[in-house]
Amino acid sequence: MEHDPAVIAGVSFAIETVIAKAIELSPGAQNRLKQLHPLTIEIHCTQPELEMFVSVEEDGGIQLASYWETKATVSIEGTWRDFSRVTTASDPAAALINGDVKISGDTAPLMQLQTIVGDLDIDWEAPIVNAIGPVFGHQLAEVIRAITRTSGTTHRRLKRQLSEFILEEGRLSPPKPELDSFFTAVDDLVLRTDRIESRLKRIKKRAASLTGAIE
Amino acid sequence: MSSQDNLTDDTTDFGYERVKMAEKAGRVREVFDSVAAQYDLMNDLMSGGLHRLWKRFTIELSAVRSGQTVLDIAGGTGDLAAKFSKLVGADGKVILADINAAMLSVGRDRLIDKGALSNIDVVQADAQFLPFDDNSIDCITIAFGLRNVTDKAKAVRSMHRVLKPGGRVLVLEFSKPTSPLLSKVYDAYSFSALPAMGKLITDDADSYRYLAESIRKHPDQESLLEMVEDAGFVDCRYHNMTGGIVAVHRGIKG
Ligand SMILES: C[S@@+](CC[C@H](N)C(=O)[O-])C[C@H]1O[C@@H](n2cnc3c(N)ncnc32)[C@H](O)[C@@H]1O
Repeated sequence: MEHDPAVIAGVSFAIETVIAKAIELSPGAQNRLKQLHPLTIEIHCTQPELEMFVSVEEDGGIQLASYWETKATVSIEGTWRDFSRVTTASDPAAALINGDVKISGDTAPLMQLQTIVGDLDIDWEAPIVNAIGPVFGHQLAEVIRAITRTSGTTHRRLKRQLSEFILEEGRLSPPKPELDSFFTAVDDLVLRTDRIESRLKRIKKRAASLTGAIE
Repeated sequence: MSSQDNLTDDTTDFGYERVKMAEKAGRVREVFDSVAAQYDLMNDLMSGGLHRLWKRFTIELSAVRSGQTVLDIAGGTGDLAAKFSKLVGADGKVILADINAAMLSVGRDRLIDKGALSNIDVVQADAQFLPFDDNSIDCITIAFGLRNVTDKAKAVRSMHRVLKPGGRVLVLEFSKPTSPLLSKVYDAYSFSALPAMGKLITDDADSYRYLAESIRKHPDQESLLEMVEDAGFVDCRYHNMTGGIVAVHRGIKG
């Protein structure tokens, strides 16, 4: 099933915004990032199907996109489960390299980027949950947190600054309650169809094995 | 309704009204004259900020690179132009074009504030008669503009003409929600809440009623896809966003 590009754009925007703010607060990070340009990482989740591209810009900024035409420097591929497994590992960086997640291309800049972003110590949860709701938002934040090795401690001050930043600098007006709930309803609908789809698949499988048993 | 119908009976849609073809441009101009100053604020309020995400994905699909020439037609207050200005860099060029001088002048001020004007040309132009050389542009975007154009097919053909071979057009526009339930909620929202909000902020409910009506009159996903193909584009496809409330269509000039 195709994901709603607007939802993905919302997540990308949220993540970019937190990273941008964190970079601003961490002198040095920007210069280290600049040296990684041009770097594009393709993250391909095969189940559920989702593709994201992370690129380091000339000015050291980090950009996310769900559509990209030029070849990525390095590609990471795996199922959601494979990525989640990385999050529970004691050494996520090692798990990323040694686990079921497939990596192709030049891994050196990938590791460098991971260290730099890891050092920024960002709270991913709030902005991502804001963008896509608590269920997937929490899981996605967990994955990013683990991949970048951020400690779980929340930084209230940073968190508050970030929400303010998203509102003011991002100049996103406070969403209208009607639209908010309506958007949630769309999300719900998508989730529910997903669930029905997988239930259908299970039933079909069972039916197939039953007919197999009878024959 | 197809542009063919337009041509035979000499009238066209203006929201839910029928007006003389020659009148439509003028009526559309009045609408945007009256909303220009508050346009960006209303955009945010109306869509809960979603229009930024819809535009963001459109920019991703453009795959615009440094050094290219990009035309944003019906560009209004220039938010796409500002993004493209950064992407094409000093060696590239962005043309912000709109039929409406009031929208363009708000746009020009915005771009000056953002310090983004050095590689942007601001041109008053009608999408149906683009005043640019054949095969001269790498990418054309039209965001929430096509539904206001009198003869939409003619505009799409005009875009095909000025694009370079291999160049692409992206049409971001309101479309048809894919679920009937969503469609109902959305109708209720846009026909009642929207004009009320418009009245509150710009003291102009009529213009926003026109916007709501013109959204319904706009061709749905498949009809617009056909229109883009008929203009000669290849590799045409569309992506629904937010349940089909908007869709972005893409075509490549072969
Ligand atoms: C809803 S606004 C969209 C502005 C901007 N692209 C955005 O997405 O925020 C529609 C714009 O289309 C312009 N417009 C209407 N008819 C046009 C035409 N025939 N040619 C060019 N622009 C036109 C209006 O002046 C107005 O600025």
